[in-house]
Amino acid sequence: MSKVVEISPTTRHEGHSKLVLKVNDDGIVERGDWLSITPVRGIEKLAIGKTMEQVPKIASRVCGICPIAHTLAGVESMEASIGCEIPEDAFLLRMMLQCANRIHSHALHNILTLPDMYLPGTDTKINPFTPEEPVRSVAKRIQTLRMVGQTIGEIVGGEAIHPSNPRVGGMYKNLSPRGRAKVLDLAKMGLPLAREHMEFMIAILRNYQKRDWAEVGGKEIPIPKDLGYHNQGYMAADTAYGSSSLDENPRWFPERWTEVRPWDWYMGEEEITLEDPSYPVGGTTKAGTKAWPQMEACTGVPLYDGQPVEVGPRARLVEFKNYDEKGAIGLQIARQMEYMDCFYKIIEAADALDCSASVVADEIPQGDGSIGWAANEAPRGCDVHLAKVRNGKVEYYSMLVPTTWNFPTCSRALVGAPWQLTEVIMRAYDPCVSCATHMIVLDEDKRLVAEKLLE
Amino acid sequence: MVLGNYKQAVAARSTDPDILRKSQDGGIVTQLFAYALDAGIIDGAIVAGQSDEPFKPEPMVATTREELLAARGTRYSISPNMSLIKEVTRSYGLDKVGVVGTPCQMQALRKGQLYPVGLRDVADKIALAVGIFCMENFPYQGILQLVEDHGATALENVSKLDIGKGKFWIYTERGATVQLPLKVTHKYEQPGCHVCLDYVANLADISTGSVGTPDGWSTVFVRSAKGDDIWAKAIAAGAFETKPIDSVKPGLELVTKLATEKITKNQQFIEDRKTKFTVGKELRNPYI
Repeated sequence: MSKVVEISPTTRHEGHSKLVLKVNDDGIVERGDWLSITPVRGIEKLAIGKTMEQVPKIASRVCGICPIAHTLAGVESMEASIGCEIPEDAFLLRMMLQCANRIHSHALHNILTLPDMYLPGTDTKINPFTPEEPVRSVAKRIQTLRMVGQTIGEIVGGEAIHPSNPRVGGMYKNLSPRGRAKVLDLAKMGLPLAREHMEFMIAILRNYQKRDWAEVGGKEIPIPKDLGYHNQGYMAADTAYGSSSLDENPRWFPERWTEVRPWDWYMGEEEITLEDPSYPVGGTTKAGTKAWPQMEACTGVPLYDGQPVEVGPRARLVEFKNYDEKGAIGLQIARQMEYMDCFYKIIEAADALDCSASVVADEIPQGDGSIGWAANEAPRGCDVHLAKVRNGKVEYYSMLVPTTWNFPTCSRALVGAPWQLTEVIMRAYDPCVSCATHMIVLDEDKRLVAEKLLE
Repeated sequence: MVLGNYKQAVAARSTDPDILRKSQDGGIVTQLFAYALDAGIIDGAIVAGQSDEPFKPEPMVATTREELLAARGTRYSISPNMSLIKEVTRSYGLDKVGVVGTPCQMQALRKGQLYPVGLRDVADKIALAVGIFCMENFPYQGILQLVEDHGATALENVSKLDIGKGKFWIYTERGATVQLPLKVTHKYEQPGCHVCLDYVANLADISTGSVGTPDGWSTVFVRSAKGDDIWAKAIAAGAFETKPIDSVKPGLELVTKLATEKITKNQQFIEDRKTKFTVGKELRNPYI
């Protein structure tokens, strides 16, 4: 007889989401639904009728953790729609910005993930805020990595959060030679830290993999060897930057994308039949409460080739670098492995940058209403923005953001895990829920019309 | 109190003949920034540089002595130096910023430091704020009108503009000098200047101006602890020649007189505009 347990809200991630889980008598998840309950933001509706310069700035406001990814994806979807090629040096600036964002976001996620992990050789969980060594120096290193990422973002993008410098057609300002030197200094300072930190994090994560149990709410919960395994595919547009419909060989395929309603995907109304007051923090939802995932979910369910897919660090490594480790910890390790690459990319781009070159396209067309898309590899995965621009005004705008892709995939990855560890799996995806909340378009027959746009 | 708080007031001038050659008075701002740049106190400074048009200032970031020297002299027109305050810490990559400005710009700077809304990571990067005395300012069109119409001089031939001894002075390249009574300049002033109650840049680290000292010298008020420290170092490095302010004519007396004049006049204007310049009722206070 299966029981239903609900963890609401889930903690230590950005945004507001919950887990509704059907578990068997041993507490193993038979069906898991992870859903966003952040209210709809309406950015896509706000965008309609605005100028193409404004919309990426509005889109950026969807979230303060990867505003850079949303700005870049937004700007590039406009450029894709109007058919504007940006100068090489503008691309280099955007590349630096992109990597800076990834560094600070990954470092932030380490803080969220460490409390689940154990100090190797002990049964002590890590508290990243403790003043005691060795954790203290790790926390300081994370802070430094974030400082490096944010400061590079600030110099290149004009602002670490919600960058002001990217614009349709390139960038507003090039770096001064001094600014470029500062970026190089910061990147070279961060590089050895990133290596140390990557090695530390991988050791911690491997240690978790080797453990037999983890403590949750005072109980020892066995850790299955296949924690967070799923058989879904992966989707990534690039290792570092992204792809757009202007590319000669685009690496994201809009015709493979479809979207269904949460109504068709999530569980129907369920009564909570299992509760655990000792589950941190404050216990799970009380038994007898109703949960209705298909009504409560505030996202669309995007499918690629008719299936949910995983996006994010592991997807990038699987698609482009033959990485093959599955499971929640495999995903975490893939994330740590991206640190170094970000710094190398920043150094390469800063070296190649010509500080006196123009960073705005000579001609910026105003658009004829054709559809353009840009897939930006945000820290959490492939962030696709689609836009139609006519005479400088946006006619249609849609954001397909990473965590939206990961919601149904992660829901499948929950199956087979003890329900107490489902938050560990969910956190491995580094969920950033607020941008994932998203409206979908239905026509009169309640069928989805997103595909029609691409005809 | 019209002179604000200060730790010391002195008459000073630069010891560098290069700077003095084209400076307005004692070359205080240029010399101070040049010294601070050499000593590593600042990485660069926001100054009113020269734009394409003669005597039209344009805010620029000077990171070398040459750039500072190119920006010497007063231009008597609006230079929105605060517009660069954020960018200077971004794409220019400066960590220690020097900034020069009029009293109102110093107010904006301090307000920005106190409430850094939209100025993330800027407030802590201001290393030296130098204020200049300011009675009022002219829009560029006003300067054009004064020099070209009233002064009957082409602006491109002008080598220096000055206000002093109750007159507006126009010096030309070829040696001719035109003087206009200050009375004719009043209607070209910026109306916004008439609500300002600060003559000597009370909020700057160091403020300076020509009033109170003989030609070629400047009056300097050292105000903050930071300013005091930098000033002491600059004196020790021999950057300035100084005289006690009591030993020079006309001295602080004139500064006090002019400051009092400005403040009383503008207080009167603030009172008057409640009734005189509107439809007969007070302007709505936008903050309540």
